[in-house]
Formats: sequence, structure tokens, C-alpha cells
Amino acid sequence: MIGDLLLSIFNSDFLYSVIRITAPILFAALGAVIAEKAGVVNIGLEGIMMISALFGVLFGYWTQSWLVGVIGALVIGVLLALLIGFFAFELKTDIILGGIAVNMLGAGGTIFLLDMFTGMRGNTGALVTRELLIPTVDIPLIQSIPYLGQVLSGHSVLTYLAFLLVWLIWVVLYKTPLGLNIRAVGENPNAATSIGVSVQKIQYIAIGLSGAMAGLGGAFMSMYYSQGWNSGMVAGRGFIALAATAMGRGEPVGTMLSSLLFGLAQALRTKVSGMQGVSSYLVSVIPYLVTIIGLVLYAISIKNKLKKRHAVTEGAE
Amino acid sequence: MSDRRLIVFNLLRGVAAISLALAVAAIFIFISSDEPLTALKYLLVGPVVSFKATGNVFNTTSFLTILAAMIPTIFSGLAVCVMFSANQFNLGGEGAIMLGGFVGALLGIYLDLNTGLHQVVCVLAGAVAGGLIMLIPAILKVKLGASEMVTSLMMNYVVMFVILHFLNFVFADRSKGATQTFPFLETARIPEIISNGTKLTWGFVVALIFVVIIALFMYRTKWGYAIRMIGINQSFAQYSGMQVGTVIILSQVIGGMLSGMGGSIEVLGRFSTFLWRELPGYGWLGITIAILAKNNPIFVPFAAFFIAYLNKGCNLMATYSDVPSEMIDIIQAAIFLFFAAEQFLAKYRQRIVVRNAQRDLALQETAASQGGINS
Repeated sequence: MIGDLLLSIFNSDFLYSVIRITAPILFAALGAVIAEKAGVVNIGLEGIMMISALFGVLFGYWTQSWLVGVIGALVIGVLLALLIGFFAFELKTDIILGGIAVNMLGAGGTIFLLDMFTGMRGNTGALVTRELLIPTVDIPLIQSIPYLGQVLSGHSVLTYLAFLLVWLIWVVLYKTPLGLNIRAVGENPNAATSIGVSVQKIQYIAIGLSGAMAGLGGAFMSMYYSQGWNSGMVAGRGFIALAATAMGRGEPVGTMLSSLLFGLAQALRTKVSGMQGVSSYLVSVIPYLVTIIGLVLYAISIKNKLKKRHAVTEGAE
Repeated sequence: MSDRRLIVFNLLRGVAAISLALAVAAIFIFISSDEPLTALKYLLVGPVVSFKATGNVFNTTSFLTILAAMIPTIFSGLAVCVMFSANQFNLGGEGAIMLGGFVGALLGIYLDLNTGLHQVVCVLAGAVAGGLIMLIPAILKVKLGASEMVTSLMMNYVVMFVILHFLNFVFADRSKGATQTFPFLETARIPEIISNGTKLTWGFVVALIFVVIIALFMYRTKWGYAIRMIGINQSFAQYSGMQVGTVIILSQVIGGMLSGMGGSIEVLGRFSTFLWRELPGYGWLGITIAILAKNNPIFVPFAAFFIAYLNKGCNLMATYSDVPSEMIDIIQAAIFLFFAAEQFLAKYRQRIVVRNAQRDLALQETAASQGGINS
């Protein structure tokens, strides 16, 4: 059985599915990266994904254009994140509670909104036609490489965008004045203020961007991954994204790697649960367990690093 | 008392926040419904009034079912109060409740004890299970600095799937169509206070007793003081010699025990067999309740009543009008945002504080000029 498992892991279909499953987690995790760099905790990613996913489908259906759907989902994501920001920064609601509130809207509010707009219950049924799905692209050249082509080519536009954003966000954070400000605000808001940076403005921008990412993740879920919206769709991906970010040390590339790890765990779960004599429930635990273990390992590594640094400074005294 | 006005202000502020939340709900109802007035009627007064041709009468049965619905949420509300007071954003209540319910259920099926003792053992076991599961995020937080929020969220899913595994493959009653356990022994079931089908069990009394216990614990014991102090200022607590790590773990273990206890009492009181196929949702309700209660255990039952009332109202509204019951989530989210907003109506509070300070100063001056000692 282990042999079968190994064989199927190195199967190109499997690796293709890992990338596909990673994408939505990566979107949300990148959102968490930007927020965290500005010292903002956005735990509302889960809810934002749910609501954006719904509006992606609705906008797409109303305009009969997948692109409008995706953009609509993104805009909704930004608006929701700014709502959290408004309550947190202006009215001083604890930002964690603000996030939980949006998650509640995501859980039940979406069902309500769907009913209100379409009269449907719990899922969007036939609203999403084939033409409204986010299209896939074959990459020339790479497509024709055996094995690699099957793994890397033929993904949706948004999948490629997710991985492109890793690089883009790295550039923004480390090579632009905005990124410098974001990091300054996150590391030392007082210092940032003292050189004339508006902490609040930067935090608004950061949480808005994080909402945009989660919005794209939501659109990916409903307009490509599950081909329609349903109430159990996001299933904790927004929370897993937070864990991926913590494990990736809040850096874009590290976060991409940990997101891939969760994608792998998730794909493994799908693979193994199809096998005979395996409890699908226990297999379902894998991604969440991997998250916890990953967090623990990360925390241990941080602790050791601090200890070492401490030892060095003590030695110097 | 010089801050009486502040208390009144805080009360009014709470009422304003809730009214705003309900106003948001009303707007949504007017937008979405063809019969908004019927919907609003059922939402707001439906839970305690039955509308009859002969006139409207107070609906006692419905009122009692609302009280019954408070049983698990009082526990989860108390749990969140304790954990959030220590600034521990542990969101694992969901998992702890489900686990407590499951453990209590298993002992209720397979243990053979006299009634009275049986319930106590089941509920205590549920509490211990809840406490143990919360040890994990708590210890990871204290020893490794891992965010308790993220680990506890992940734990919820782990707990749920592991329970589903055991429910499906080990303890399932195969003679039934649905996946469920064997029925609880009669000796383990928590009886109703008055046998009338409202499910208002003795668990309600236990819940109220725990409100008092937790209130005393938080405001009259050293440990409770330490928990609150850590929540207000952890560095200060550390420098003043409190064992911050131990207290942080303690707060989450207590939270877990209360959750687990609530879960087992709910399961043994409401059902005759273990039926939960997903996380029950009481953990999240507990957060709303703790926010409404401002983390003060004494206010928890009132907050729990309010939420149970709204929930019932939303269900009635969904039954008798065209507004879906998920309205409750929108109301809750709005309450969350406004109620927890420290700066909501802050200008008025500022004015009151300034006025109080001025009056105090004036009093001190007159006292000083008379040569008296003032406090």
C-alpha cells in the first residue's frame, strides 16, 4: 500500500492537483503576509473568502463574464477588509473580534444574501456555467515538456496569478517606498510616525490589500475549484492560511513554501481517502495536524534562534 | 459613587449598540422580504408571544425552551470570559464542547452506575476532556510562543474529524439508518426540571451555579485576580511576580473544562444518543455572549438569554415569513462590531469622565481647605 502511495505521489496528476489546491491557500496567506507586515492581524480572511466567492459567482452570472466576477470578488474583498479596518482603527473594536464578525457574515450571512439575491438555498446550483469558469491556460514550450508540462501547464489564470503574486508582493514589500512604509509601520509604528508616515493610512492600505488577496482566493474557490458556491466551500482555508503565514515567517517565499506543504497535505488526504481500508475521517485530519506540527516546529526554531542570539550577546558582555 | 454616571453611560451605550445591530437587521429584512412587518413581528416578539385569533398570549412553553437553549451557551460564554479576560484568544471552545459531549455520551452509554452519580461522572469526564484538549494550545503558547488562536482553530477540526472517525467506525449503532451511537442509559440522562418536553433540564440550574462560581473565582480569588491582571497588562503582572505562564495555561484549561462540561450536559440533557455530525457552533456563540457581557460572568446569563431569544426569533421568522434564519449571523456580526467598539460614542464618555474629574477635584479642594483628610 505504501508503494502504491509513493507511486501516486510522484504521478504528474497528483503534483498538478497539489498546485491547484495550494492556490487558494496561497492567495489568503499572501493577504495575511501583507497585513502582518503592517502589524495588522486579519483573521477575517476566512469570511472574506466566503463572501467574495459568493459575489464572484453572482457578478459573473449577472454580467455573464468571468472577469467581471473575479474583479467583483476582489472589490468585495477589499471593502470587507476596509470594514474590519474601519472598526478596528476608528472605533477601536479589537481587530480579532472584527475579523470574527466578518467570519460570521461569511458563514451565515452568505446563505442569507444568496437567498435574498436569487432565492437559492445553500449553493448556487446552475448559476455557474462552463463559460463562467475561470479559463485555463496552456503555457507554450513548457506544455510540451513531458511530465513537467503536465504538472505546470494547463492551470487556471488565477493559479498562475497566485504564484506571480508571491514575487510581486516581495517586490512591493522590499523594493518600493510603500513596502518600506508597510514594514516600518509593522515593526515600529512610533518610529514610522516620527518620520511623517501616517500609520493609519498605511494600515488601511495593508488590510485593503489583504482583503484583495482573500477576494481572489474566494473567486478561485467558487469560479474554478468547486465550480459554484456552496456554504461549506472554504472549509477553514482562511485559517490554514494564517497558519501558513506564521510558518512561513511572514515572508512571501516562505509562505509560498508552507502553503505548498498544506496543499500537499490536502491533496494527500484526497488521494488516501480513496484507498480501501482507510478512514476518510482520520485522513481529513492531516492538513490540520500538519499545520499544528508546522507551527510548533516554527516556534521551536524561533526559540532556538533567540536563545543563540541571547547566548552570543551574553558572551560578548 | 463617582462613576455611577459612567455605568449608566455604559448601559445606554450597550443598548445603542444593540439597537443599531437590530436596525441593520431591520434594513435587511425590509430589503429582502415581501412581508417585512410579519417577519419583524416574529423576530422581536414571536419568541414569547403566541398569536391567536382570540388575542395574543404569553407563550410559557416557548419561553422555557429559550431558557433551555441557554444551557450550553452559558457554559461557553463563561469559558470565553475566563480566557479572554487573560487576553488569550483561544477559539477552541467549539472543539472542547464537541469533545466533552462525546466523552460524556460514551460514558453515558457504556458505564453502569446509579443515577445521580452517573450524570456527575459523565459531566466531570466531559469537563476533564475539554480541559485536557485546551492544554495543547495553552502549553504551545506558553512554552513556544505559538499563537493560541491559530492552534486552537486547527484543533477544532482535528477534534471533529477524530470524533467522526470513532463515531462512524467504533461506536456506531448499525441498526439505525443515521450515524449515531447507542442510546444513553436512563441513569445517565439529565432530567427536565418539569417534565414538559421543553428540554429545560437541571443543567440550567448547574449552569447558573457555575455563573456564581466563576464570578467568585474571577473577582474574589488570587487566581482570578491574576487572570484579569495579565489581561490588562501582562508585563506589569510579570514584573509584580505573578507566574504568568501558569496563569495563562490555567485560564485556558478552565475555559476548556467549562466548554467540555457544557457539551456533556447539553448532550445528556437534550438528546438520547450522540448525534452531532459537525462542530455545534456554541463556541462561537460563547464569544458573542462574552462580548455582550463585557467578560463579566454575572452578565453572561443575560447575554445568553438575549442571544437565545434572537435565535428563536430568527427561526420563527424563517418559519412564518420569507426571511431565512441565517439573519442571526448578520445581527451577531453587527453586535460584535458595535458592542466591542471602544470608541463607539466615546465623545460622550469623555465628557462624563471630564465632568467627574472636575467634580472630584472640586470636592478635594473644598475638603483640603477644611483641613480634612480625603480619600
